[in-house]
Amino acid sequence: MTTYILDTMETRTTRILNLAKSAIILAVAALAFPVHAVDAKPNAGLWLTTDFPAMAVRAGETTTIKIKLQNTDLAPQRVMLTVSGVPQGWKATVLGGGVPVAAAMPATNESVALQLRVEVPANAQKGSQRVVLSAKGNDATAELPLDVIIGQSLPARLSIKSKLPSQRGSASTNFEYPITVLNESDKDALVKLAAQAPQGFQTSFTEGFGSQEISSIPIEAGQSKELKVKVQPSSGTAAGDYPLMVSASVEGAQSVTQMSIQITGAPKLRITTEDGRLSGEAEAGKATPLNIIIENTGAAPATAVTLSSSPPGDWKIEIEPNQIPVLAPGQKLPVQAIITPSGKAIAGDYMATLRANSGSESASAEFRLSVTTSTLWGMAGILVIIVALLLSVGAVARFGRR
Amino acid sequence: MARRSGSPWKGSDIVFAKEFSDHLRSPRMLVLQWLILLTGIGAVFMSIQGLRTTTASDPFLFLRLFTDARESMPSFLSVLAFLIPLMAIGLGFDSINGEFNRRTMSRILAQPIYRDALLIGKFAGGLATLAIALVSLWLLIIGLGLYRLGVPPSGEEVARGFVFLFVALTYGGVWLSVAMLCSVVCRSPATSAMAALGAWLLLSLLWPLMGRFIAEIVYPANEVALLLGLPNPQQIGLQQTLARLSPATLFGEAVVGILQPATRTFGVVFASQVRGAVAGAPLSFMQSLLLIWPQVTGLVAGMIFVFSASYMSFQRQEVRA
Repeated sequence: MTTYILDTMETRTTRILNLAKSAIILAVAALAFPVHAVDAKPNAGLWLTTDFPAMAVRAGETTTIKIKLQNTDLAPQRVMLTVSGVPQGWKATVLGGGVPVAAAMPATNESVALQLRVEVPANAQKGSQRVVLSAKGNDATAELPLDVIIGQSLPARLSIKSKLPSQRGSASTNFEYPITVLNESDKDALVKLAAQAPQGFQTSFTEGFGSQEISSIPIEAGQSKELKVKVQPSSGTAAGDYPLMVSASVEGAQSVTQMSIQITGAPKLRITTEDGRLSGEAEAGKATPLNIIIENTGAAPATAVTLSSSPPGDWKIEIEPNQIPVLAPGQKLPVQAIITPSGKAIAGDYMATLRANSGSESASAEFRLSVTTSTLWGMAGILVIIVALLLSVGAVARFGRR
Repeated sequence: MARRSGSPWKGSDIVFAKEFSDHLRSPRMLVLQWLILLTGIGAVFMSIQGLRTTTASDPFLFLRLFTDARESMPSFLSVLAFLIPLMAIGLGFDSINGEFNRRTMSRILAQPIYRDALLIGKFAGGLATLAIALVSLWLLIIGLGLYRLGVPPSGEEVARGFVFLFVALTYGGVWLSVAMLCSVVCRSPATSAMAALGAWLLLSLLWPLMGRFIAEIVYPANEVALLLGLPNPQQIGLQQTLARLSPATLFGEAVVGILQPATRTFGVVFASQVRGAVAGAPLSFMQSLLLIWPQVTGLVAGMIFVFSASYMSFQRQEVRA
C-alpha cells in the first residue's frame, strides 16, 4: 500500500492500474531473486526458470529438465531459443509440447512450458558441465545456466539368500527351496530367474505364497522378494547328492547360489512279463506255467522280496521261487508261476492277482487267465452219435432191403 | 423170407426228389412257411428297432438280432423254438400213413424201390424242405440286419450263426423223425398228428414242470437249505438232467450258448467257481462250441435214434395192396 501511495505521488499522469500492477510484480521479483533479468527495466522482460538448475545425470542416460519461459509486461513476440555450452558428444534439444522447437511465443504475462532434453554419452567424464539455454526476443533476452553433474552411479547388484540350502527326500519328493532375492542397485530391475539341476529334474519358480510359475520378477531398488524354487526329481533317480544352481540376473549383474538336493533311494517293484502281456491260458485242472518278471525300478535294492498270489476260488498258484533275498536296482528276475485252475472251473476269463512285497514297498499285477475245458466230453458226445449210427446200421442190416 | 440183393439206398434219390418237390408245392408248406417267416421277421424287426436306439457297444451286435426280446414281442429264438417243431410235425405227420390211405404204398413198393429208400428219401426230403425254410429265414435276418444296422457281422458272428443254423436244423430233424415215427405207428393221419403234437406239447411245456416235481420227490429239500433259502443242488441237478431229456431244453441251451458268447455254463454254479471270474467276458468260439457240444450231440443222437425206431417199426410192418 505504501508503494502505491509513493508512485501516485511521483507520476500522477500515468494510469493508476498499470502502475500498481508493475509495482507488485517488481516486489515479487525482488523477493524471488530471479536468476537472470537481462532486461534494462526491472519490471518487464523475459524470464527462464526451472525448479532444479543443477542436477545429477548418469553417463549414458537421457534427462529431461522442465523449463518455463515467462513473458512479463512485454508484447507477445517471437523468442528464439538456443542452447550453448553443450560438450562434445552430448545432445541437447529444446522440446515444446513434445516436439523439438527452436522458438517460442509467450503472450503478455503468460508462460510457455518447455523441456530441455540432454542426452549424455556413456563415455562422458565425471564432473559438472554447464549448459546455457538462452532465449532471445525482440526486446529482451534471458539466459538460464544449467549444471549437469555426471556422477558415479551405483552398479546393478543382486543377491540371493537361501534359507534352506540343503534338503533331503526321496525321488518322489517335491522339494521346495525358499529364497530371497535382493535388488541392491539404485534402479528398479526386472530380475530373470534360472535354475540348473541335473538332467531330468523339473524346476520352477513361484512367488513365496503364489502358485503361478514365474521366469522373471520386477524388484524395486533396494527391495527384496521372497521366492520359492520347486524341484521335482525324475522318478528313477538314484540315491545321492545333486547340486542345484539358482541364478538371478539383470543386465550387468548376476547372482548365483548353490544348493543341494540329497536323494535317498527307495526300491520300487514291478511285476510284468517278457512281452508285457498280463494274460494267459490254462486248462481246467491242469498245471500251466506262466513266466513272469519281477523288476526293481527304484533307486535302492529291495531286500527280502516275498511273492504271493490271490487266486480265484479253489485254484492253486505256486510261485517258484517265492522268496528273493536281494533285488538290485534295475535288476529283472524271471519267476515262474504254476497255475492250476480248479478241476471244476467253468470255461471263461478269470482274474488272479500276483503280489510282490519288500518292506513297505509292494507291487501287484492282475493277470487275466482264460480257462479252457477239456475236450474229453466232446469225444464222448461223438461216441454217442457213433452208437446211434451203429444202431441204425444194425437195424438196416437186420431188417434192410425188404 | 428171402433176402433181397442190391443196395438198400437204391431209389432213395428218386423218393427224395419227389418228396421235396411235393413239399415245396404243397399249400401246407406255404402256410407254414409264411407263418414262420412273418413271425420271425416281426421279432427280428422289433429287436433291430431296439438295437438302433440303444448304442452300447457290443462285439456281438449281430447275434443280438436273434436273442433280443422287446416288450410285447418274444425274441426270435423263442418264436423259432415254438414254430420249428410245428413245421417239422406238419411236414412229417402223414408221410407214411398218407401213402397207405391213398393206397399208393403198394404201388411205390412195386417199383424197384426198397422200404429203406422210401423212408430215407421221405426223411431227407422233409429235412431238405426244413433246411430251405431255415436258410432263407436266416439269410433274410442277416440281410435285414445288414440293411438296418449298417454294420457287417464279424467272422466269429458268422461262424456262430452257422452253428445256430445247424442246431435249428437238427432240432427240426428230431421233430420230423418223431412225426414220421407217429405216421408209421398210427394208421390214421389224424391220430398221428395228435400223437406228434401231444409229444411236442408234453416235452416242451409239461415236462419241465414234471421234472421239477420228480426232482422234489427224489431229493426233498433239507431243513438247512430251507432255512437259508437255498435250493438243494442235487435237486436242481436232477431237475436239469430230466429237463434235458426234452429236445426243447437242449435246443434252448444250445442256441443260448452259441448266440450269447458270455454264457459260461448251464449247470449249477458254486460260489467257489465264480470267485475271480470276469463277469460278461465272452468265451472263445471253440469254448462256446465245447459248451454246447453235449446238447448238439444229444439232438443229433436223438434224431438218429427216433429215426432208427421208425425204420425198425416200418420194416416190420405188413404192406398189402
